[in-house]
Amino acid sequence: MLSVDVSNGLHEELEALAFRNKVRAIGVALHDLETGFRFSLRGDRWFHAASTIKVAVLLAVFRAADEGRFHLNDSLHVRNRFFSAADRVLFRVSQDRDATPELYANIGRTAKISALAHAMICGSSNLASNLLLDFVGVEYARTILQKAEVYGVELRRGVEDHDAHERGINNEATADGLLSLLSAIRGDFLTPESKREVIRILLEQRFNSMIPAGLPPHATVAHKTGEISTACHDIGIVYLPEREPYIVAILTEFNPETDGRRETVAAISDAIYRSLLRTEPKSNED
Amino acid sequence: MRTEYLRPIDGLRLAEKYRALLRPNENEAGANHTVHRLPRFFYEIGSWEEAHEIRLVPHFTLAELMLVDCREARLLLSQFPHYVPCAILLLARFLEDFRREVDAPVFISANGGYRSPAHEIGGAKSIHAWGTAANVYRVGDTFLSDARSIEKYRTIAMSLSPVVFVRPYGREKGQTNDHLHIDLGYAKLTPRECSEAS
Repeated sequence: MLSVDVSNGLHEELEALAFRNKVRAIGVALHDLETGFRFSLRGDRWFHAASTIKVAVLLAVFRAADEGRFHLNDSLHVRNRFFSAADRVLFRVSQDRDATPELYANIGRTAKISALAHAMICGSSNLASNLLLDFVGVEYARTILQKAEVYGVELRRGVEDHDAHERGINNEATADGLLSLLSAIRGDFLTPESKREVIRILLEQRFNSMIPAGLPPHATVAHKTGEISTACHDIGIVYLPEREPYIVAILTEFNPETDGRRETVAAISDAIYRSLLRTEPKSNED
Repeated sequence: MRTEYLRPIDGLRLAEKYRALLRPNENEAGANHTVHRLPRFFYEIGSWEEAHEIRLVPHFTLAELMLVDCREARLLLSQFPHYVPCAILLLARFLEDFRREVDAPVFISANGGYRSPAHEIGGAKSIHAWGTAANVYRVGDTFLSDARSIEKYRTIAMSLSPVVFVRPYGREKGQTNDHLHIDLGYAKLTPRECSEAS
């Protein structure tokens, strides 16, 4: 009964919040490891995955390392030269749009795979993401998602592949799918060492204006954001010292001109936190 | 030129695990029914420190011409000694001439010097397995990633010797678009102290 109450209340609150903030589409999936409570609000709705897809690449990279295909300490040649999933036409990622411009100083030289994984998640580097995906291969990464029983995450190409985008070849995900991806990371799909390292990388996320912004300061979040012109997502594992963590995926879609998108995701995060811990809403009147 | 560390060895006398990867003196079929014999004589390099110490010509160390990433065979990547074909000296000599001509530092990319026949990129089909090819990704402050810069330096490199081949700019097979590929053909070098008798 408790779960039903929480679920009904949360459902209504998130719908109202989405309406108020002009959210065009919302998908939320939640698994509370303290109580076992699961919640899904349009969790099967497909969204452009934006940079949340990098978590799937991260899983594939660490699994490949676990399988002995390479060592995380190995070096990889850094090149800004990729081939479109649409027609194999060459494309380059833009340094101006990359949050880790320092990686571009390594072009022509090498970078450690572990450092690229860190840059891909913590700084959401598109260059690092494409290098790693190119290295392990899209087909291998897709196989790993299947082996991990992650359904609802369609990895089809690298990022900034505009030719592929124009032809409708995109990375897509559902909230339920991304929740299962984080669950796979937290489960026993990776070796304990790799699992620890993956979660450590996710904990060092530099963009914290969504899920963490809706939480009290003592919460820590292993997470990955994703934003493009219409999509604004955050997925993560929320750690609170007083209880077991919960896993959450918040996917939203807006009209391109809509403001306050990150704040909306933060408000959804706040609503989820309050519903799970039965606390009162934050006040702005202090 | 600091070359006192250079120790030539006959690849045919190497341990089997190295011969399996380096394939000394083996034939390799190329394009258009050509066959080329892989290098037989190598310099044995004891450590990265040595490779950095060995200055083949005034502006190039051996380390610059043997940097590979993890697509190289594990044995040749992570353990020393490493082996590089003796013809790497000819490549270094040419690169020094090229550097003098362009009057600017010349940067060789990772995987852009010697790669063994076991390297995942190109393998024994690549002329990089002869130690006679270099991929230049930068000259001075210019990154070679467009037609203008690649064609400019291609013209200069090809003017230095008729034996030199430089790939043209482009996106097709045999062309390059983010570096300048320079090679001296399937040249091999036998140090005078080495015998070619089997």
